[in-house]
Amino acid sequence: MLGSLWLKRAFITLGGAAFLWVQSPELIHVVTLALFVLSGYGVALLLARRPSTGLLAAYIIALTAAFVILKRYEFLNLVGGDTFLAHALDLIGLSFIFFRQIHYVVDVKQGEIKQLPLWGYLNYQLNPFTLLAGPIQRYQRFHEDWQTLTPKPADAHELRMTYLRILIGVVKVAFIADFCFWFATTPPEAAGALGQRLILFYFFPLYVYFNFAGYCDIVIAAASLFGIRVPENFDRPYLARNMIDFWTRWHRTLSFWIRDYVFTPLYMAIARVKPQWSGNLAFVCYFVALFLAGVWHGATWNFVVFGVLNGAGVAAAKLWENIIVARAGRKGLRTYLANKPIRWLAAFATIHFVCVTQVFLRPGSEDNVVAAWRALLDLVARVGGG
Amino acid sequence: MSALLDDVTAVIRTVFGDDEITLTPTTSADEVDGWDSLMHLNVIIALEKRFKVRFSTAEISELKEEGKNIGSLLDVIAAKQGSAP
Repeated sequence: MLGSLWLKRAFITLGGAAFLWVQSPELIHVVTLALFVLSGYGVALLLARRPSTGLLAAYIIALTAAFVILKRYEFLNLVGGDTFLAHALDLIGLSFIFFRQIHYVVDVKQGEIKQLPLWGYLNYQLNPFTLLAGPIQRYQRFHEDWQTLTPKPADAHELRMTYLRILIGVVKVAFIADFCFWFATTPPEAAGALGQRLILFYFFPLYVYFNFAGYCDIVIAAASLFGIRVPENFDRPYLARNMIDFWTRWHRTLSFWIRDYVFTPLYMAIARVKPQWSGNLAFVCYFVALFLAGVWHGATWNFVVFGVLNGAGVAAAKLWENIIVARAGRKGLRTYLANKPIRWLAAFATIHFVCVTQVFLRPGSEDNVVAAWRALLDLVARVGGG
Repeated sequence: MSALLDDVTAVIRTVFGDDEITLTPTTSADEVDGWDSLMHLNVIIALEKRFKVRFSTAEISELKEEGKNIGSLLDVIAAKQGSAP
């Protein structure tokens, strides 16, 4: 479809630059974003030369502080009044840049990333397919793809399926998600007060799912046409049987990132030093990991509640499993998991718990995907409208 | 390789508290009852202690991915010990 490797690379780079230009036209935005992204590259170069745990820890703390301030997290009020919140910097895609950057410096320090070309790093961070709302991919895989940018569809059939997936993504976003949002926010008066609340309760989560899953369909398929493998982000999440299962099916790349860079180091640090504590503290680790995943979704207090509910849901799922194993053994757990009525009852309960958590994701509170769509529409409007 | 497999099997049996676990290079984590994300970390910690090695974050994550198996684990340990599997 496209000519040489360099043409494709230029196209991808310009695409990312176009998003950034539309969203952050002021010099102060460009400089702040450049400092944020390039600090990761600079520290990675140092870590490649001398893998210092102290430097890595200090950098992650500093980067997290910068991220929290740039995103204007409301809890900063508690520590510094309005001091940290009195700025007008809104950087596009910062949440996902932050995740990729931590992954990058940790993996460089641990010797898992050995080649550090600046151009590849910048495109990993800023390419238009994953800049706005993920999915979060590993640098190693991106680097491998970036060398050749060979389109992934192997034959005409796969190519047709890829275009079909883009179309399905558009339908999910432009029709199904839009309808769910409209229906959730303007339910018919005939439904009555209770009916209207129920419509909002069930249809808002459907909107969130179709909006984000559709977006992922489009970027995953489009990126594959350009030779970039972007990982899957959803696996039928509303069939999950508990909250642990849910987070392995919903926004999977975020869950895996949280598992690898929050849960794993936290749990292993405890288990290496105090193995006798690890069993009980595992629940705390589950809670902390999912609490942070929840809080990351937005800067306002409602997201803290969202985080607490998700942390509690995941810890409770693990506790429930342990109770079954303690009472009936692993064989008993197998029988429990194989029981069809229990399976559907568990899925029913999980869906409802998820709907409760998503009450705290409602309009009025900024969401990353909504922000990403706004950015995309903005770009289309500018390009189309001149 | 088979000596390493025996050693790894012994470690994993201790972690799971199950002496009947039998592993081959093609066994995947999904085939071992109870090998979830938390158990995976317990296995890694026990292997680190037994073989005096350290696994990176990326290695820990990849070893749990689809398509990876005990053979992949043996390869990583053997590479860390500086000998061919």
